[in-house]
Amino acid sequence: MTVASPQREIPVGEVVLALEGVSRVYGTEVQVRALDDVSLDIRAGEFLSIIGPSGSGKSTMLGLLGVLDLPTDGAIRVRGTDVTRLADAERSRLRGEAIGFVFQQFHLIPHLTALGNVETALLYRGLTPRERRSRAMSALEQVGLGERHDHRPVQMSGGEQQRVAIARAISTDPGVVLADEPTGALDSRNAENVMQIFADLQSPERAICIVTHDMDVADATRRRISMLDGKIVADEMLGGPSGGLAETGAGAGS
Amino acid sequence: MATAGLTARKIRTLLIMLGPILGVSAIVAAIGINESSKGHLKAKLQELGTDLIVVNAAAGFGFGQDPVIEAAAVARVGRLPDVVAVTGTRQLSDIVTVPFSGAEDYYRAFPVPVIATGPELPDTLEVPMISGRFLNAFDKESSARVAVIGRDLADEYGYLAGESRTIELNGLEYGVVGVLDWVLLEPSMDSAVFVTFAAAVADWDLDDPDPSRLYVRAPTNTAMVAKEIPIVVSLGGPDGANASVPTDLLDAQSQVDESLNNLTKMMGGLALIVGGVGIANVMSISVIQRSSEIGIRRALGHSRGTIAVQFLFEALVVGVFGGILGALVGAGVVWGVAAQRGYTMVLSVAGLAGWALVSVGVAVVAGLYPSSKAARLEPLETLRLG
Repeated sequence: MTVASPQREIPVGEVVLALEGVSRVYGTEVQVRALDDVSLDIRAGEFLSIIGPSGSGKSTMLGLLGVLDLPTDGAIRVRGTDVTRLADAERSRLRGEAIGFVFQQFHLIPHLTALGNVETALLYRGLTPRERRSRAMSALEQVGLGERHDHRPVQMSGGEQQRVAIARAISTDPGVVLADEPTGALDSRNAENVMQIFADLQSPERAICIVTHDMDVADATRRRISMLDGKIVADEMLGGPSGGLAETGAGAGS
Repeated sequence: MATAGLTARKIRTLLIMLGPILGVSAIVAAIGINESSKGHLKAKLQELGTDLIVVNAAAGFGFGQDPVIEAAAVARVGRLPDVVAVTGTRQLSDIVTVPFSGAEDYYRAFPVPVIATGPELPDTLEVPMISGRFLNAFDKESSARVAVIGRDLADEYGYLAGESRTIELNGLEYGVVGVLDWVLLEPSMDSAVFVTFAAAVADWDLDDPDPSRLYVRAPTNTAMVAKEIPIVVSLGGPDGANASVPTDLLDAQSQVDESLNNLTKMMGGLALIVGGVGIANVMSISVIQRSSEIGIRRALGHSRGTIAVQFLFEALVVGVFGGILGALVGAGVVWGVAAQRGYTMVLSVAGLAGWALVSVGVAVVAGLYPSSKAARLEPLETLRLG
């Protein structure tokens, strides 16, 4: 994959998302420690990747970073607030405001148009229908799909569906966009295109975090966090074109 | 936006609406038909007048003979202070009436009642003639072979107003002189042939021109007159009589209808409950099918409460539309039945709205379980990350 490495210098701002000594244990009788005492800060303006083989704990980390799951131990801070102490409604509100999601399988709602899908993210935020519509439209335009706003997911290619999903993720102006294997279901051309969009979406107000097992994808970002057996084993800044592999041999496992 | 899940699955939405539709329409129809028929009954009672008394002769000592009310007793009833009109009738047995030649076999199997009566019958019953005239004093004196026929018989007979035709009674030709309109209180008269007592005595060897039944009109103190009549008829003698006010019977009959009506309402209620179970069932399946949508919505920041409300809202929409459609279908059924039976349609809009609301309530209660199930779904499990 030949994604242009981001050459723009984006200033790195305050911490928008943080894990503090987070552990996640699954099961009661047979316990699996999927994440073991992990700490991580994600700052506005960062473009980072979390890489690791299957079972390394990166999906568990994604669920926790996205506040879709709660840790067994430790704290998750979204803009400084420990979400583990919040009630569901508050936590959901904070998740909707601070985090945008992009999934491997796109997860668009099939009976809604592209615009309707993006608008779904803007519901229950006190916006008028007109404001919802115009914000959704501008998000679609940012990913180059403004003219296809009335198409349904089945009428679009995988790459286009993923771009709708990206538009949905950025429409709420979240502090962090979390992407789970965003190129995993795409051919290489569409994958490049999607990575280019992520690169273009970098801004001082937002962090972009891609979880992947694909080293090429990870190398297209500016910070690479490598995971193995529920721990972070490397956290490297990538200056330009590839800065050399981490000592974990990540990516080999899958 | 919230109803997108419903419009995307039109057939399923229609199917789960069937429960509320059936339930509400059954109840609305049951109530509406009952109210309309009651209204009709009221109008009918008004029309019949509640002041008509029917007196039947009761068996005395004369065995082997139909009980009759003697002429003297009839006169005594007529002299009661509140009585304004009295007419006797007697149904003649063993007479074969043949309106068409060649139809003897049919009319032998299904005999047309032949009733001997006096000229005052239409006045006493307050029933008009729809054509021709009723039997008159001249017919009575001359024992003329003339007959009046009931309206249904006239229709069956193909009788045209003013047409001169005859009807064959045991082989004797009687001239038809008129058609009596429908007698609401005595529907059997609608297909009967009326002749004078005099003709009956002359042609059919009737022993005496005494009636077996009296129709008595008493506009005032009707109930009291009805009580006095049996006493006046028998005067302590062996011959008795039973008097009743038929409109009272109609009233009693409407009470019987009520219980049938309650049964229909209960079945409608049952349909509503079953419909509710159907909604709960289908929505539960829908929650499973839409679990990934629910997961996305949760990821997009919708809280458990919001998800629950969304599904409840879908149930509410099903209930509202099911209720409205059911009320309309029920009203349509009432309208159809009323039109067919000649009733005036009686339907309360408040009742329609009320039952539609019950359907909404049932749907919302049915939606509680699937909604809470949707709210409890874990987004991580439905999104299948990495």
